[in-house]
Amino acid sequence: MSDLAAGEIVLERATRSFRLVHERPRTLKELAVSLGRRPASEVPALREFDLRVAPGEAVGMVGRNGAGKTSLLRCLAGIVPLDAGRAECGGRVVSLIELGAGFGQDFTGRENIWLNGALHGFSREEVEERIAQIVEFSELAEFIDVPVKAYSAGMFLRLGFAIVAHLEADVLLIDEILAVGDESFQRKCLNRISEQMEAGATLVLVSHDPAAIERVCDRVVVVDTGRKEFDGPVAEGLLHYHRMLGTERGASLSLRPHAADRTVTITELEIKDAEGRARHMFRPGEPLHVTLSLAGRAERAVVAVEVRDRQGATIFRTDVTAGAVHDTLGATFAIPRVTLLGGDYDLVAGVLNQDAPAGPTLDRVARFSVTHVSDGEGVADLRGSWTFEPAQSGSEVLR
Amino acid sequence: MRHRFLFEQMVRRELRQKYKGSVLGIAWYLINPLVLMGAYALVFKVLLDIANIPDYPVFLLAGLIVWVFFAQALLAAAPSLVLNAPLVRKVRFPRETIPASVATVQLVTFVAMLLLLLPVALVVRDSLDPALLLLPVIVAFLFCLVLGLSMLVAVLHAHFRDVEPVLAAGLLPWFFLTPLFLPVEDFPGIDDHELIGDLLEWGNPVAPFVDSVRTILWAGEAPDLAHLAYVAAAGLIALALGAVVFRRMERDLAVVL
Repeated sequence: MSDLAAGEIVLERATRSFRLVHERPRTLKELAVSLGRRPASEVPALREFDLRVAPGEAVGMVGRNGAGKTSLLRCLAGIVPLDAGRAECGGRVVSLIELGAGFGQDFTGRENIWLNGALHGFSREEVEERIAQIVEFSELAEFIDVPVKAYSAGMFLRLGFAIVAHLEADVLLIDEILAVGDESFQRKCLNRISEQMEAGATLVLVSHDPAAIERVCDRVVVVDTGRKEFDGPVAEGLLHYHRMLGTERGASLSLRPHAADRTVTITELEIKDAEGRARHMFRPGEPLHVTLSLAGRAERAVVAVEVRDRQGATIFRTDVTAGAVHDTLGATFAIPRVTLLGGDYDLVAGVLNQDAPAGPTLDRVARFSVTHVSDGEGVADLRGSWTFEPAQSGSEVLR
Repeated sequence: MRHRFLFEQMVRRELRQKYKGSVLGIAWYLINPLVLMGAYALVFKVLLDIANIPDYPVFLLAGLIVWVFFAQALLAAAPSLVLNAPLVRKVRFPRETIPASVATVQLVTFVAMLLLLLPVALVVRDSLDPALLLLPVIVAFLFCLVLGLSMLVAVLHAHFRDVEPVLAAGLLPWFFLTPLFLPVEDFPGIDDHELIGDLLEWGNPVAPFVDSVRTILWAGEAPDLAHLAYVAAAGLIALALGAVVFRRMERDLAVVL
């Protein structure tokens, strides 16, 4: 049916819109009533989307909620037909768009492995061959003959991913699911995906988690309002995405919206690069500038800047006496090198009038991310160089 | 046949869902026609005394199991796609397997009842007729009819949610218009209303199936050629219609569900 090579993906001017759910006639009466009226308004989900993915490529798909990422995946999987254009995948497609979609609640874990294998077009023998691996990967050996309705959400996730990850596919379509589950299982999933890629599979991964995309993808497509906004290398793609989000929703959030009792506050907090451009994504070692706007009146103002990790723990804090503030004051805190490793961080800033201290002092927060690196993990960037001594002197001593 | 394994798994899933938590399980579905038979025998044989038919319970049961199969399958198939909406929205697979597995589960029940009724009929009649060989053929065409209509109502219901209630409401009068308790020619008033008689016998696609199964099981005779032709044609037309409509309307299933 298709002239594509196994693992190849082609989208040509793919277009699809959806009618708003409440406007679609659901019953015959509503259909009769709606006849003779103008057609209901349609919401475009994909607009003339072009994309070509070569066999073996790993493409990360990012974009805001409702940008069309999931629609794209569902069209690629053949679940939803296009209005116009072409969307095709070569070879066997395995999609993981929602975990446990095809689970029978009264089925045991093992029976669900059979069912899901069958749903993805695998034969009895093919499922038989893989069932031991799937059970092992899911770490559910002692629960595998229990009906899945007794499973926790985490167990569901494990089983669902284990099944899909062991059905060899030419094209793997995965939506957002890696966001759930604990850290160690997430890593295991990503490793398994990498294994499949090494075996030659093509991957399309939709995720809000830049870390996951960085780890497995070598190309990023930014989707916005059903269009392709960016298509290229991962680091640039993620920068593009963060810039898009940054301009969209403002640089920072206020922690204290009702600060009327305060004599001095921070009204603006922006994270910028060394050239003064607003930015939310940094590579380890890059300079990061924090610019603050203060408003109010204080003779002795103290400004504090704090960096917190995802769990809210402070990993750095500094404060400085800013002196007098009359109406407004601008301030910049320049970090010459971001000595952090991959992850999301919150930058929090606050100001205190020393003559009239009142309550907690933190005013605004902005988020930034640091890209992952291959030669270090954790929070602090303490990457260094290794040297190795030849061993012969040591063995002489032993003798 | 590429999807045989999938189909098998879907039937297992359907069976499991149907009988979950019921102590008697499949027995419930065998009891249903027995209760109907008891009520009919009481009304038409004992109270109204218009059924001058030997072995009346066998006569009744032979027709009733056909009707129960037909009605139960359609009622179960109509909401089947809607009930499996999460599956349809998230996985690409041949969706025909959903109504087909529902119809197949009902077929299993039907065949079980048939196998229970068969020895009873043989003992009562005390003869083994070659006509019995036609029974599997009739059953096969009956399954075509049920399968085709199951696909039809399932996909229609997915698009228009009042198909199921309309069907449920329609099946009751349909039940009474199906000649289950008397053969059409035995109705007391039938001689004055020949047209209605013909309509009851041939206008209702279920009636020839009921008649044929009854002729084989109860009378021990082969159905006449007209019945056989009708049964074959009805089965194949329904199946083709169901398949074509399903194929057409299936495209947008993930969106309308």
